[in-house]
Amino acid sequence: MATKNAEALAAANKKYEWGFSSDVEQELAPKGLSEDTVRYISAKKDEPEWMLDYRLKAFALWQEMVEPDWAKLDIPMVDYQNAYYYAEPKKKPSLKSLDELDPEIKRTYEKLGIPIEEQKVLAGVEGARKVAVDAVFDSVSVATTFRKELEEAGVIFLSISEAIKQHPDLVKKWLGKVVPTRDNFFACLNAAVFSDGTFVYVPEGVRCPMELSTYFRINAENTGQFERTLIVADKGAYVSYLEGCTAPMRDENQLHAAVVELIALDDAEIKYSTVQNWYPGDENGKGGIYNFVTKRALCQGRNSKVSWTQVETGSAITWKYPSCVLNGENSVGEFYSVAVTNGRQQADTGTKMIHNGKNSRSTIISKGISAGRSDNTYRGLVRVGPSAENVRNFTQCDSLLLGDQCGAHTVPYIEVRNPSAQIEHEATTSKISDDQLFYAMQRGLDEEAAVALIVNGFAKEVLQQLPMEFAVEAQKLLGISLEGSVG
Amino acid sequence: MTLDLPTKRQEAWKWSDMAALEAAAQSERAAPDVAPADLFLDIDGPRLAFVDGVFDPTHSRPGPVNVTAIGESSGHPLGKLAAGEGWLVRLEKGAAVTSIQIVHIGTGADNHVPARIELAEDATASLVETYAGTGWANRLTQISLARGARLMRSVRLLQKSGFVSIRDEADVGEAASLVSVFLGAGGMGSRIDGEIRTSGIGAYAEMGGALLTEGDQRQEAAVVVDHAMPEGSSRQIWRAVAADTSTASLAARVEVKRHAQQTDGEQSLRGLLLDRTAQVNLKPELEIFADDVKCAHGATVGELDQRALFYLESRGLTPARARALMTRAFVADALDRIGEEAVREAFAADASRWLEVAL
Repeated sequence: MATKNAEALAAANKKYEWGFSSDVEQELAPKGLSEDTVRYISAKKDEPEWMLDYRLKAFALWQEMVEPDWAKLDIPMVDYQNAYYYAEPKKKPSLKSLDELDPEIKRTYEKLGIPIEEQKVLAGVEGARKVAVDAVFDSVSVATTFRKELEEAGVIFLSISEAIKQHPDLVKKWLGKVVPTRDNFFACLNAAVFSDGTFVYVPEGVRCPMELSTYFRINAENTGQFERTLIVADKGAYVSYLEGCTAPMRDENQLHAAVVELIALDDAEIKYSTVQNWYPGDENGKGGIYNFVTKRALCQGRNSKVSWTQVETGSAITWKYPSCVLNGENSVGEFYSVAVTNGRQQADTGTKMIHNGKNSRSTIISKGISAGRSDNTYRGLVRVGPSAENVRNFTQCDSLLLGDQCGAHTVPYIEVRNPSAQIEHEATTSKISDDQLFYAMQRGLDEEAAVALIVNGFAKEVLQQLPMEFAVEAQKLLGISLEGSVG
Repeated sequence: MTLDLPTKRQEAWKWSDMAALEAAAQSERAAPDVAPADLFLDIDGPRLAFVDGVFDPTHSRPGPVNVTAIGESSGHPLGKLAAGEGWLVRLEKGAAVTSIQIVHIGTGADNHVPARIELAEDATASLVETYAGTGWANRLTQISLARGARLMRSVRLLQKSGFVSIRDEADVGEAASLVSVFLGAGGMGSRIDGEIRTSGIGAYAEMGGALLTEGDQRQEAAVVVDHAMPEGSSRQIWRAVAADTSTASLAARVEVKRHAQQTDGEQSLRGLLLDRTAQVNLKPELEIFADDVKCAHGATVGELDQRALFYLESRGLTPARARALMTRAFVADALDRIGEEAVREAFAADASRWLEVAL
């Protein structure tokens, strides 16, 4: 592997013709962010000229932008020059056996019900490599059968780097159309230095034969810290996409700034589900991941529909607003979210529903659960343009507080420019009452099981939007995330 | 004069119309087109008139209200500009003064008046402020209520043009009660900015009102109630009615601090759009750090209920009458909080006058 990388690097470096000199042995782009870094990344990926231009423009713009400070987040200064922007996929530290694994993580695996062999793969146990290879071998074959099926259906499902090479026209047409480069600080940074990501194109009238998930894509781990996802559903197409993993993921990169763009044309439907459980840091919040993501969907066509479902339990800081721009007539946007914060976690998450099309409708269901010393903010915008007749929106934000050291905040913005709109907003803040706990416990549940039960009931409306196998894991995950927060 | 004003890039000012404020500040002074006598309500009590921010003794009978330099300053970007001579109400324990009337007339350019209201234990006061004329009227009012004190404050913005910016900073003590009601029914732009803090157990704070906008006017209220002590309650009841190409914005926030258990906060923000081109912005915000609280907020925007209009028409009302009646009822929710009948009626009349023109 290592020699292969070195060879690839050497080859890449040879091609690198802008006078940048690099040590052949080096697997990292030099620390810091400059135009050279951007050129380096682009060259490493062997990208066409137009892609490099796109990145460089973004970089020039990014230098003039300032970090947003409006979120209710206490973000420690991020030193953008003291980070690596391109690194070969990191190998996880290998373990001799599962016994060497952090007992915390092992316990979580067990609670999630992850099979022992899969646990070994996730943990990167050395001896298990063989098993892992088998497993990978399996999943390669699975992936190939899947690929075949997808190919037959005409669905394009590639890493974005491959897509840039194989389908430049499609990528060119849609990249940055939903989240323009200048959109915000983090999206702009992503546009300049994105490492890899996913590209999906579902052609006209095709119902994608399976749930698409990064899990099945070989190379999935290589996506790195600046992920870029682009999903296009052509007329009448349907696709359901799963992202993330319930297993706790440790990652060396502290800053994650992904961009996800969805495009739904006439009668198309995209369902996008996320389960995120990145490392939230230790009990003092040290070392957790900053998750600054820009996710946006464009419901461009008539009767198009986009549905976001997210279960957010990880990361030290979450800054994430999956949004829908509802341009099409009768288009529908949905947002279902459960955000759990514990320890010192901070989450500022929500959605934007921008109604421009006639009869467009949107539903927002947000469940925030705060425990420990965490802060959980729902921040949402519902905007109705002057020409959008008969818009309907229903928003419900519920917050659940566990303990008296945490905070729950609701910041909804409503901007309406058309009198025919009907906008409703409801919010509640509550705690688990002693009565509820007592009742569950006198029926024989221990305290943790009782809390998990009540929390799952609280989040039910969102969890039931998740695909079946995800939902089961997500339920368990909620219970685990809140362990030790009551009593 | 160069002004250092907040910009739209600042989150708390994204809906503000600082251009209108600057234009008002740069306008020329002219002869006043309205006399203080026309603006005082026919009720007994102390009266103060300020013309372009300067106390006018001929039209005033201040009684217990002192006209004096107010030393306190504010960190607020507009409030801090209001310094120098202003008015002061300081009441002893158990004292009561009702129906203090203060009239502000602007003729152009900018004028700044600070004010301070200090009520000792169990003191009560009620106060009506009226803004008329034009130019930029900038006010800072600092209120401090001791245990059991009660203040009822009603403010109406009736300037024909220009801009009115109001900054309230209040501290409400144990079992004290502060009720502030605002009516924006003039042709000016406005920014009503309030920060009420409860510093005693069981305090009651209310800040609400109605903003009526037409033409290309922009009015805005940005209010924060900060519950720092337990068992407090607060009400924020705001109504916005927007016609033509105007914009009415309401941002209300309830903050509940860690120890402020058993807080009961309620927000009701409702917007009514009379025309396709008008805009209403709402932001009902909650920031909660205590786990045993009751905080509810409701926000709706829309047009008048077609079925209710149909019902009224079926009872013989003309469409215009039916609309006026419904709109008046919509606004009344917020204005009904005014305690004194004469004041309440005057405010309702101002709102009706506005509706007659707009509908």
